Amino acid sequence: MTSTLSIQGLRVAVGDREVLKGFDLTMSTGEVHALMGPNGSGKSTLAHALTGRPGYRVLGGSVTIDGRELLGLSATERARAGLFLALQQPLEVPGVRPLDMLVAAGADAATVAARVREEAVRVGLRPELLERFVNVDLSGGERKRAEMVQLGVLRPRFCLLDEVDSGLDVDALAAVARRLSAAAAEWECGVLAITHFRRLLVELVPTTIHVVRDGRVVATGGPELAERLERDGYDGFGAPRA
Amino acid sequence: MTTFADTAAAVIDARPGGGRLDAWRAFEEVGLPSASDEVWRYTPLTELGLDRHVVPTGPSSVAPSDTARRLADGAGLVLTVVDGYLAPVGELPTGVHVSSDESGRTHTGQALAERYAHDAFSLLNVALAPATTVVRVEDGTVLGAPVVVLGLAGTGASFPRLRVEVGRGAEAVVVEYLEGGRDGLVVPLSEYAVDADGSLTLVTYQRLDQTAWQVARTTGFLERDARLHQAVIGLGGHYDRSRNDAELRGAGAANVLRTTFLGRGDQVHDFRTRQLHLAPRTTSRLLSKGALAERSRSVYTGLIEIEKGATRTDARQTNHNLLLSSAAHADSVPNLDIRENDVLCAHASSVGPLDAFQRWYLESRGVERVDAQRLMIQGFFYEMLEALPAALAAPIEADVAAAVGEVARAAVVGS
Repeated sequence: MTSTLSIQGLRVAVGDREVLKGFDLTMSTGEVHALMGPNGSGKSTLAHALTGRPGYRVLGGSVTIDGRELLGLSATERARAGLFLALQQPLEVPGVRPLDMLVAAGADAATVAARVREEAVRVGLRPELLERFVNVDLSGGERKRAEMVQLGVLRPRFCLLDEVDSGLDVDALAAVARRLSAAAAEWECGVLAITHFRRLLVELVPTTIHVVRDGRVVATGGPELAERLERDGYDGFGAPRA
Repeated sequence: MTTFADTAAAVIDARPGGGRLDAWRAFEEVGLPSASDEVWRYTPLTELGLDRHVVPTGPSSVAPSDTARRLADGAGLVLTVVDGYLAPVGELPTGVHVSSDESGRTHTGQALAERYAHDAFSLLNVALAPATTVVRVEDGTVLGAPVVVLGLAGTGASFPRLRVEVGRGAEAVVVEYLEGGRDGLVVPLSEYAVDADGSLTLVTYQRLDQTAWQVARTTGFLERDARLHQAVIGLGGHYDRSRNDAELRGAGAANVLRTTFLGRGDQVHDFRTRQLHLAPRTTSRLLSKGALAERSRSVYTGLIEIEKGATRTDARQTNHNLLLSSAAHADSVPNLDIRENDVLCAHASSVGPLDAFQRWYLESRGVERVDAQRLMIQGFFYEMLEALPAALAAPIEADVAAAVGEVARAAVVGS
């Protein structure tokens, strides 16, 4: 069954500064969207505000999955409603083992160890790296791959992929992109990839591209938008409507 | 009425010698500490009432818990010590000797009453322990399976005393487990002597009844290039005091000490540490972590002492306390006493709630808050158990997890 994620007029402040100023975006499961914009345009804020990270204050608007409002819900409830965030810099959680985390997140305790091994192999991560603590002592690339393992085990309806760290090696980038593409096909995971680099989109081919400037989406279109960005830069899209 | 002193006298009369009388007299002279002594100011001493306790003249009749039994299953050698009395010992692994030493002396021959001359509770132990249980691992012996010392305490006042001697180049893993002690007073005194190039991994797991008082003291003596890796875990007790010292006597000696506790109800966990660096190129790593729920309190007082001549010493001390309720309280008092210039020395401490971002990360995967907190608190302890062989880690982790589950639920209700 197709699900729809709908973001309407979302306004979010970080500290005293309003970063998202009426953000609109709609996507369905099975689709791959890219959200592109310059630094400071509000892309990462969107990802964190949607998943309820402390410090992000919602001022207005609405975020729904199939009509169910998420903004009043806890981070746990939003995750269980189908949102998954792959972070730019996945947090270390010392002392907590990935398997315990996944079981507590709803994975089947009987099969989780085998599933984690399968998923690790798929993204080229040595499974023994997941026997320690969540994201602890992993390189940037290993952390991204570790989050793809979480994704594969938890199979969320929507994955928000926050900006891939510019320090990430090409192989890790490709592994993440391939896993997300496969997820879109396997269980119709909807993928919203946030990036200001085009190189991610070589492997992860989006059906729709949104250009964001100053807290709003200023253009939505097909893959041709990425080419236009490449040619003209973000300035070609002008300032957002006041 | 039977008083503590009467029953103590009966024990000393029954086993004269071993410096017991000297120690008792010294105790009477020193007297119990009072809350006006700085090192006892956090202790509810008025609740102690020595006369509430009687000293048994033999082991009481107690049965080990499931956790104790599971620990024993994973051991290469089990020593059962009830109220300080060593039960008959089975077959010993090659290179291991076990004895009851009533001489009242340390491994170097110093009188215990002299060594602990100013410490009232240790003096009581010297006066009233039936004997020192001595585990000696011969030079060059590498023990594959751990030695588990199952300490069981009855309802009276008990004074277990242990000495582990690890010979030159020998390696051993020892678990000191302690349970029972309902309404009792338990005063363990332990010494660990690690000879040159020897290695001792030690876990002290205190799982006494929530009504028990414990006043424990341990000291490691490390010779050249010796290693002592010690984990101290305090879950039980109404008042749980544990003083863990290490004397780094030989060049290149290394001490890792991890102390951890979980506070519930109105428990008090009171950890004291002292790392004494006497020789060059010695290292100490001290990590103290505790989680406090409900109205529990903790004290951490750590002292690093570096003597003149202990050049290129590297000593680090870290203390993190997790407050799971607004009524919980932690005090952290790190101290440095350095008499040598050519050293590295650092300390850090923190007191605060669970990391909100780490908790969010777990929640954003779909983990409920109560489970996120449970996993994170459990994580505190897991980090401390890393060095354990798997056979022992499993029962201890299961036991810790059960205790943490209760605390995590209480913490969510209270937040």
